[in-house]
Amino acid sequence: MIRERLRPLASQAKRAYVQLMLDVVGRSLEAISEVDDQVRNEVTVLPDGFLFSMQVMPKGPALFMRKQRDGSLQYLGGSVAQRPDLSIQFKHLHHAFLVLSFQEKTAQSFANDRMLVDGDLGYAVRMTRVLNRLETFILPRLVASRAVKEYPDNLGLPEKVFSAARIYLKVAMNFVDTVRSS
Amino acid sequence: MSYYEFFCPVKVIAGQAALEHLPYEFSSRAVERPMVVTDKGVRNAGLLDKVLAACEEGGMDITVVYDDVPADSSKQTVTAIAKEYRKQKCDGILAIGGGSPIDTAKAVNILVSEGGDDIAQYAGSGVLKRPLKPFFVIPTTAGTGSEVTNVAVIADTEKEVKLPFASSFMLPDAAVIDPRMTLTLPPQITAATGMDAMTHSVEAFTCLAKNPLSDAYAAAAIRKISNNLLKVMEKPDDAERRLELAQASTMAGIAFSNSMVGLVHALGHSLGAVCHLPHGLCMSLFLPYVLEYNLGQIREPLSELLLHLAGPEIYAMTPKSQRAEESIATIRKLRDDLHRHCGLPRTLQETGKVEKSQLDRIAQMTIDDGSIMFNPKEASLEDARAVLEKAWA
Repeated sequence: MIRERLRPLASQAKRAYVQLMLDVVGRSLEAISEVDDQVRNEVTVLPDGFLFSMQVMPKGPALFMRKQRDGSLQYLGGSVAQRPDLSIQFKHLHHAFLVLSFQEKTAQSFANDRMLVDGDLGYAVRMTRVLNRLETFILPRLVASRAVKEYPDNLGLPEKVFSAARIYLKVAMNFVDTVRSS
Repeated sequence: MSYYEFFCPVKVIAGQAALEHLPYEFSSRAVERPMVVTDKGVRNAGLLDKVLAACEEGGMDITVVYDDVPADSSKQTVTAIAKEYRKQKCDGILAIGGGSPIDTAKAVNILVSEGGDDIAQYAGSGVLKRPLKPFFVIPTTAGTGSEVTNVAVIADTEKEVKLPFASSFMLPDAAVIDPRMTLTLPPQITAATGMDAMTHSVEAFTCLAKNPLSDAYAAAAIRKISNNLLKVMEKPDDAERRLELAQASTMAGIAFSNSMVGLVHALGHSLGAVCHLPHGLCMSLFLPYVLEYNLGQIREPLSELLLHLAGPEIYAMTPKSQRAEESIATIRKLRDDLHRHCGLPRTLQETGKVEKSQLDRIAQMTIDDGSIMFNPKEASLEDARAVLEKAWA
């Protein structure tokens, strides 16, 4: 009986977590695209104005990013009227939760048919690498190892801490700007 | 706890006098006027005549034949065939051939079922929402497995891109595997397509989306290829063994379309695009080197494969800790034997068609190929370049 009553609450909490994480990932992607050369190299081949989204099917939480002329990614929030050029879609809220709570690697989620790609597969592979790079920087090694296929051997602690600090700072400033403007 | 999906609704009609089942299969789907989609190679080898004769004897005259599918089929080819299909008022499609006629026929089926003249509007995954016209396939190579896969690739020559199509509705109603259709395959194509099926199976068994059902198909396919490929090279007119290889190819197709493939295919797609080498050869060139690269992540499944690659005696005699390496050695030996039989190249240099200056471009394309997502080990640009270097000579 109690479990029955708690179920909607758990589902709401899960939705809120996924929404929050997608927001954090969107802002972090914007930040890492401004500070990390490797991510800029990955993004550089995308056409200017390229619209990328990650969303939960059918109309769940989402993030939208646009490639800027200066080579960076701009976070546009959780909804955009325009159809994205590339969309990575989770089939179910729980599948997104598994990935965003680092219980399942992104590549394994693809392998398990929990995610669909609508758009150029080559660009999807690139954006997955960008997401992996982000996770290796902003997450502790133990957690990041659960999120990516392989934690890079050549990522030293000083580089990780320095880059993570810059990303976190930019994300924090981005949040403050959002709060001020709302 | 693992999770997987497995789907293969294709009726497989295999063995002696399988072609003679076609009229019944057509009638069971109410097809009275099928269109044959094939290429000149199939017609010139006399394979089309065998199919037409089997149907005629069964009381069904096939009069609409398009036999001009090019090696790399384009949007224009698909449009032209769809136009002919409509003009002739056909009500089903029979593809006869290797990968190109089968992929072309899958795309034609989309157009004639969904309408329109531009196949590009249906590109991508999950675009199709309903069943297509009746569709049948007779493979004439034992390698691609296209008769049981839900994908097709068609070139957009104007935009110079390849359009991918993926939908379970593209799967044929039935695949007819008849040993007569592969009896005349030339030795080097037999070897290359056999290694293509071998690679499908090995990658299906070792990559990220492996599952118990695809494992079963992959292991059985490897056993059939290991037991029969060299025997067929020695005695090309052995219909029994040809059938074994054809079945192995179909089983490998079922395996990899449900578990995907990895770095061998990513490298092979890129090499094929840059240097225009046949797909099966590309697979053979990279298979042992990629297995060595992935070894740390795939030791257990690769050890298990030794039983199917080399047989129970060698498996039992090999210490557990060395079985994975022995599997790779067995594949290398198979490549050496095929090289001796028909000159199938073992290195990029032996192909005579690859320049070392092209390796950087191939590596760059490799890391953007969709297959790399399912490789068990994360492969960087430097890693891809290193594997190419090993495969060079």
